[in-house]
Amino acid sequence: MTTKIMDRRIKMITCMILILTLLTSCGKGGNNKVQESESDSSTTEVLFIAYSNYEEPLKNVVDQFKKSNPEINVKLELAPFNQLMETIEIKMGAKTEDVDLLFVDSPLVVNYAVKGYLEPLDDYFSFDPKDVWADEAVNGATYQDNLVAAPLNSSSQVLYLNKDIFKEKGVPLPAEDERMTWEETIEIAKKLTYDTNNDGHNDVFGFSFDQVDRAYQLLALSDSLGVEMVSEDGLTTDGYINSPEAVKAFQFYYDLFNTWGVSPKIDREESIDYFISGKIAMFLGANHNLPKLEESDLNYGVTLHPYFEGHEVATPTGAWNVGISKYSKNKEAAAKFLEYLTADLEGAKTFFEVGGTLPVHLELLDYIANDPQYDDFPNNIIRISAKESQETAVSRPKTPGYLEWETNMNRAFENIKNGTDPKEALDNAAEEIDRLLKKYEGVTE
Amino acid sequence: MIEARDKKVPYLFLFPAFVGLLLFKLYPIFSAIIQSLHTRIFLGEELKFVGLNNYINLFEDPVFWNSLKVTLKFNLVINPLQIVLALLLALLLNANIKHIAIFRGINFVPVAVSVPTACILWKIMLSPEQGVVNSILVALGMNPQPFLTSSSQALGSIIAIASWKGVGYWALFLLAGLQEIPPTLYEASSIDGASRWQQFRVITYPMMKRSLTFVVVSDTVANMLLFAPMYILTSGGPNKSTNVLMLESYNSAFLYSDMGRASAILVIMVLITFIIISIESKLLKPEY
Repeated sequence: MTTKIMDRRIKMITCMILILTLLTSCGKGGNNKVQESESDSSTTEVLFIAYSNYEEPLKNVVDQFKKSNPEINVKLELAPFNQLMETIEIKMGAKTEDVDLLFVDSPLVVNYAVKGYLEPLDDYFSFDPKDVWADEAVNGATYQDNLVAAPLNSSSQVLYLNKDIFKEKGVPLPAEDERMTWEETIEIAKKLTYDTNNDGHNDVFGFSFDQVDRAYQLLALSDSLGVEMVSEDGLTTDGYINSPEAVKAFQFYYDLFNTWGVSPKIDREESIDYFISGKIAMFLGANHNLPKLEESDLNYGVTLHPYFEGHEVATPTGAWNVGISKYSKNKEAAAKFLEYLTADLEGAKTFFEVGGTLPVHLELLDYIANDPQYDDFPNNIIRISAKESQETAVSRPKTPGYLEWETNMNRAFENIKNGTDPKEALDNAAEEIDRLLKKYEGVTE
Repeated sequence: MIEARDKKVPYLFLFPAFVGLLLFKLYPIFSAIIQSLHTRIFLGEELKFVGLNNYINLFEDPVFWNSLKVTLKFNLVINPLQIVLALLLALLLNANIKHIAIFRGINFVPVAVSVPTACILWKIMLSPEQGVVNSILVALGMNPQPFLTSSSQALGSIIAIASWKGVGYWALFLLAGLQEIPPTLYEASSIDGASRWQQFRVITYPMMKRSLTFVVVSDTVANMLLFAPMYILTSGGPNKSTNVLMLESYNSAFLYSDMGRASAILVIMVLITFIIISIESKLLKPEY
């Protein structure tokens, strides 16, 4: 009897261990095969891992491309921002052959190139990249003199204003070409933060960033104070991200939520809806929010990106590029679509017009600068953004470990928003980032 | 001759099962151990043998120690909590009243909600800005709470969410165990004048030890490996207060492309889990 029970017990424990080992094996990097759609042998299927925010413009371009290239079937696999980075890491880390094209955030160009994810494009393109795209964009997508990704778009920020809230509180609206200081912006934000339902808690807020907790947008604070966020070789952050100036810049971010209470503690995904639903008076957001704002019935205006008094004007910029996977089996077909999407005027124009993101294609930039439809509000937002991205934009830090850098900076920003002392949050981030950057020693140029 | 062949036959029949066992169960664990002894070199795309370096680096790494602490703290609270609640729930659901099946069904509802859906729903409800839970607190005249956004409340909030989902499930097994106890034992003991507590201590508890062992062991394994809520709700924050080992391993593997470190963490987790469930099995060994 006892042996029987013992046996059962042993079996049960074995079972548990086996479940454990099975789960452990998940850590081996899955080979997530994408369901293959039915296609006859004459068509080539190109799988494109893309950022889900661009679903509409990409679909339009794909449909257009299909008309002249029926033999190439481009399939989109869309993921939200955070999942996009992980999907790429998992798929490319496992060297899967089913990925042909992938989105590449500019600061990750070096990272992906170092890891061997990207196929150099010079052999596939017959044109000189600098004839087609803005210099800055081409430089951002170049690694060791090879173009490793094709520039897709760029971005800039403007300060959107909810005119109704300004009117209700009797605060004069800043002019479209006026650049306020952060100090002035906060003074106004304080006046525009109030409680509408008398429950003792504010529900209309004076100010919010669009990309709450994201380095992309918050670096404008440290850039305005002239802070370098990583050492020149891109491998050390201690003494940079936690320097006294950096702490001062992000103390401002802390104060927005915790001292002045002029910004709601929300997530990046919620911010635009907060603005559209009239809970935020001043919204510092990307130019490509324009289509969404136009769809809403919000009574809004616009002004320029603020800066710290007595310091530099610095605006965020960032761009998406598209690369061809080194492990792809359909590089020719992928390159054909890539050229259509980014370099061909028809494809690039569709992407710009449907998506509203700032182009990097020289002819389109020309068109925005000269076409009268961009003279007046709201389309002038595109022209303002194009101007900002050429005159005041500061690009993100260059490091092969940008993914590690950004992930931990974003977490530090989230902690600061939630009330952690900025110095403490940045010290912790520096310690962790420096540990993670060690593995890149010896691989940089 | 015939005898020798006979001896081989059973092994022949067992062969497919052994192959399956080796391939699907033992190979992954060995592979994890091997990987934990290697590191990847960039550009070269090859693995380099580094011996125990991944482990040594882990032991020197405050992030690992913090994650270990968080994992143990999480499990020390959530496992006893879930099991006690599941047992109480099972006892309630075992009551012999009309339409008890309806109540049993209701308690199973959270189990049927998928983890990501449950997490996202709770995240919305616990939002510090205008989340429904805070609205209720404010309406009752209390101060709004930060919940998932505070390092002192995040782990507790996750424990509450995971228990909301888990307790009904584990109660189901305990309920099955309770129903296996012959009612005659209770009748006989009540004739002898045993109180409710005495009945629980002397009849219920020993009779359901087997299902309890199963629940304790499975619950421990499930919670040791739990990482979806941390991944979805807090990404291990604020200030790494919910950064359990499983999440740290996941990030090492899939975010920072450090498979060696990730595997080393997993091997350590397997060891810890094995030790804990051995102790639990020993303590809960049925006496008959």
